[in-house]
Amino acid sequence: MTVLLALTRYQSALLLRSHRWLPPLLLYAVLLGVGVRAGEPVLDGLGFAAAALLPSAAWLVRVCVTVEPPAARDCVTAAAGGARAHLASVLAALLASLVLGCAAAGAVLLAGDAHATDRATEIPLPQAAGAGLLAVLACALVGTAIGVAANRPLLRSPAWSVPVTALAAVALLAASASPANAAVSSLVAGSRDGSAPWPLWPCAAALLVAAAVVAPVCLAARRRG
Amino acid sequence: MLRDVGLHVPPGALLRIEGANGCGKSTLLRLVAGADAPSRGRITGRPRRVAYVPDRFPPALPLTALGYLTRLGRIHGLGRRGAAAAADAWLARFAAEEHAGTPLRELSKGSCQKVAVAQAFLAGPELLVLDEAWTGLDRQARRVLDEAVAERVAAGARVVVVDHSPARPAGVGARVYRVEDGRLCDAPAAGRETLVRAVGPPGAVPPDGLPGAPRWRRDAGGYALTVPAEHSDELLRALLGAQPPWHIERLETRP
Repeated sequence: MTVLLALTRYQSALLLRSHRWLPPLLLYAVLLGVGVRAGEPVLDGLGFAAAALLPSAAWLVRVCVTVEPPAARDCVTAAAGGARAHLASVLAALLASLVLGCAAAGAVLLAGDAHATDRATEIPLPQAAGAGLLAVLACALVGTAIGVAANRPLLRSPAWSVPVTALAAVALLAASASPANAAVSSLVAGSRDGSAPWPLWPCAAALLVAAAVVAPVCLAARRRG
Repeated sequence: MLRDVGLHVPPGALLRIEGANGCGKSTLLRLVAGADAPSRGRITGRPRRVAYVPDRFPPALPLTALGYLTRLGRIHGLGRRGAAAAADAWLARFAAEEHAGTPLRELSKGSCQKVAVAQAFLAGPELLVLDEAWTGLDRQARRVLDEAVAERVAAGARVVVVDHSPARPAGVGARVYRVEDGRLCDAPAAGRETLVRAVGPPGAVPPDGLPGAPRWRRDAGGYALTVPAEHSDELLRALLGAQPPWHIERLETRP
């Protein structure tokens, strides 16, 4: 566990200092700039902030699993094992996505209007914050799962990784069976009926999906990829 | 690329792998270090603390020499203070302490290699795998590396090396193997040696602690064990007297 923590810190340092987090951050900022307006109903804004995080979360996984030169990765793999090393890259990416998502949710809570779509029913801000953060978590987890499935060691060429990531991100935002879609829909529906239900089930489902993807891929990463 | 490789690395042994360029030496080392997994077969009994020095260490990491070593120390399982102290100590031992705060990408090739080598010794590895680790080091650093390898062997660690110079590592007797045509063979050694071809009970591997500390490899259903010639009688006695006994198929002493 301590070693996994040390590995995650090492991977986070590589991500942070490589500045390769900048493009996914810009994508997220542009999407938020287009889709979120100050003074709009807060739950709508939170739903959009969560949904827009999904592609950036997948991109951050790509950054984290490719940022380390292969020879440096070999040293770390010998010391700690390939599965743990890959898991640490994925955790570093998930942490970065959660930082982005929480910052965006905070901004929406400050700038949004704490009322439902009818502009009459008040939405309590703590309730809205809880719902928003859970939706952010669900979308970050689903985006991370996409990134893990669409990169090293399963797909090695960017000619496959990038289009598969983009298509999967669109599909998992649009498909009603996806936990990310369920979490975002729950916020939008809450904004319509003046409630702010916490999307706990979608979050649990997203966690399961992420675990089901990450575990076998990390085991596969013991072979050099 | 590599086939039918059966290699036993006993504690306190130094193994040297030779072979032509591109024959699979580096692949074998990566498999031994656990940086890669075999597509068939398995590797068992790898100790907990493993360190590996790759043949080309990348300077493209956005960390300082000391920052990198401290983080690697933590990954090798050291505590916060232990990692910082080990990083300082090994940089100093390789006379690279003035580069502690220098980003890796600004280091010269030789200084970068010192960091790559220091990384491997931080936590006192029980299995140490060195791929051309001496290449690029200055004379002083090469000597320090020789000493550090000898210390690990004396401490009972297993060390496996590839190096162009047959003089490396200096000061420790190495068992030599060659990779040829994707297979691992014994290389001719200096003294007289006896090769014993033996077949054990199904599934058995040669036990540890055999007389003469034979090096062994799998060989067509049995095992080929090689010992210095003066230990051959004791080795035969041990194999024949084992419970259940081993069957000896062939015996050959070569100069």
